[in-house]
Amino acid sequence: MSHELGRPPVLGVYGLSFGYRNSVPGRAAVHEVSFEIEEGEFVALLGPNGSGKSTLLKLISGVQGFDSGCGEGQVRFEGRDFFGLPPAVRAARINYIGFGWAGEFPLTAFEAVLMARSIGGASLFRAAGPGDIQAVENAMRLCGCLELGHRDLRELSGGERQLVALARGIAQGARVLLLDEALSQMDLHHQARMGELLKALCREQGYTVLLVSHDWNLATEWATRCVLLRAGRLHKQGTCEEVVNSPTLGELYPEAPVWVGRHPVHGGPKIFFGSKI
Amino acid sequence: MRAFTEGSSEARSRSLVLFGILAWILAIAAGLYLGAVADADWSLIRELRLPRVVLAGAIGMGLAISGAALQAIFTNPLCEPYTLGISSGAALGAVLGATLDLDWNFSGLAGPAFGGALVFTLILLGVASRTGVGTLGLLLTGVMLSFLGSSLVALWMAFADSNGIQGALVWLMGTLSRARLQGALITLICTVSLSIGIWSRWRELDALLLGEEGAAALGVSVSQARKRLMLLSSLLVGICVSGGGMIGFVGLMVPHFLRGRVGSLHLRLLPLCGIWGAASLTAADTFARVAARPYELPVGVVTALIGAPLFVLILLKGLRPGSRSPRRAA
Repeated sequence: MSHELGRPPVLGVYGLSFGYRNSVPGRAAVHEVSFEIEEGEFVALLGPNGSGKSTLLKLISGVQGFDSGCGEGQVRFEGRDFFGLPPAVRAARINYIGFGWAGEFPLTAFEAVLMARSIGGASLFRAAGPGDIQAVENAMRLCGCLELGHRDLRELSGGERQLVALARGIAQGARVLLLDEALSQMDLHHQARMGELLKALCREQGYTVLLVSHDWNLATEWATRCVLLRAGRLHKQGTCEEVVNSPTLGELYPEAPVWVGRHPVHGGPKIFFGSKI
Repeated sequence: MRAFTEGSSEARSRSLVLFGILAWILAIAAGLYLGAVADADWSLIRELRLPRVVLAGAIGMGLAISGAALQAIFTNPLCEPYTLGISSGAALGAVLGATLDLDWNFSGLAGPAFGGALVFTLILLGVASRTGVGTLGLLLTGVMLSFLGSSLVALWMAFADSNGIQGALVWLMGTLSRARLQGALITLICTVSLSIGIWSRWRELDALLLGEEGAAALGVSVSQARKRLMLLSSLLVGICVSGGGMIGFVGLMVPHFLRGRVGSLHLRLLPLCGIWGAASLTAADTFARVAARPYELPVGVVTALIGAPLFVLILLKGLRPGSRSPRRAA
């Protein structure tokens, strides 16, 4: 991604550390992680289970505050301090899109996405104006989930809920989307569609995506760059070509019998199971 | 464009508002007209029946709204006004007040009960303000407080004389028989203002439906929102309990009944809860007065007896996903 000279990156993470309360001292969930992401980039955040990927994502977005443990470090949005902003403003800049939905109460998909608009509303007893409804419908159409609008969230499959959650983030106006395992619960059709959608959002509309995944093949299919975590520390970062290779995988997953081959069509690195003889 | 918002649930909520107000008016009329004496004169109506009708409306409204709010605050459909133990605090306060002969009662309102509720609320908020205590921890603390309060009440009852036990029992089962006009009006004013206070936070309540993480992703600072809402709801429960004792099921049933029909968005749900809670408790209290004339049933027993089977019915029919409306074809 080319970026204009002197313009700060859209997302900068500097020396971010965090340890949950009650955890073993000296074993932080996230330890002095720093990286930058330019506008329009599609970055995959990869690493073994428990390496702090999700925690890092929640920390960056402010969904997980430092007050729930002890943490330090800085996140900058377009060069300005991000944690200093009020929560509602933060959510409209950088939005965390997780897979957790409580799913205890009747709530339609449309109502859930509409919350993204009504949450910042100023008038006390009015939910949304025509502009808000338009924005919600546009976001849902973009994510291909407009026809799910009337359905109860509890009726939707995990993948459909992910689409609704993405629409919620977009409807909120955020330009930086932090996706937590967004592709994991989807079938092949939805994975392909969501992947293409995210790629198109980054390329054509200037969105920035940071995708957490434990599925390397899936994430590297669409991501342009990878950030690797290992035991809460930044292990490596670079293009998919640079980081997806046998030595790196050996460092991260020492015992796993996998090897790296080539995609038969586009030639990108792909991971296959089985030991190489 | 307007298909989603002007959908069936919008129309249904309007008709539910109308029906609810109608039902409430009917219940008020029945409550004023019916009673132990067939041809009551105006002074009897004003002194005895009017206060009860006002108090029943206020408490029904308060219980239903606090129930709906607490369900959202804890993202738990089984929450009700008494889950958090506030009511046990009130019961403990009332019993202590009776033992110590504290004459803090004002116009039918049990001052010691409200004091007890307040103390338990403060304990709960103290726990809540320790960061790191999640929803489940808070809920469990509430349940523990509830057990603590009720076992202390039981302990007291083991040593008390039979007169005291009789008084405490009636109070524990819920009764509006102590209603006085002034106290009922004060309760009404308090419940209405606290209810509006909760209603004005509908955005936070909505967001909490998505769970802690979902609400935080929407840009709500969850712990603060939860504390504020807990304070408002606990005060509301405390006022309701000190006015009428432990009247169960209104706070659990009315919100569920309405959620199944108009959805869970609180801007629409909470006013409906208020109307239907008031209507149902007014009707239940009238029934409690006249069903076994010349004796009077505790209204808490009536709401539980009618409420429990009805609730199971709603559970079987209404909580099922997708039962909310015959969906429009997209």
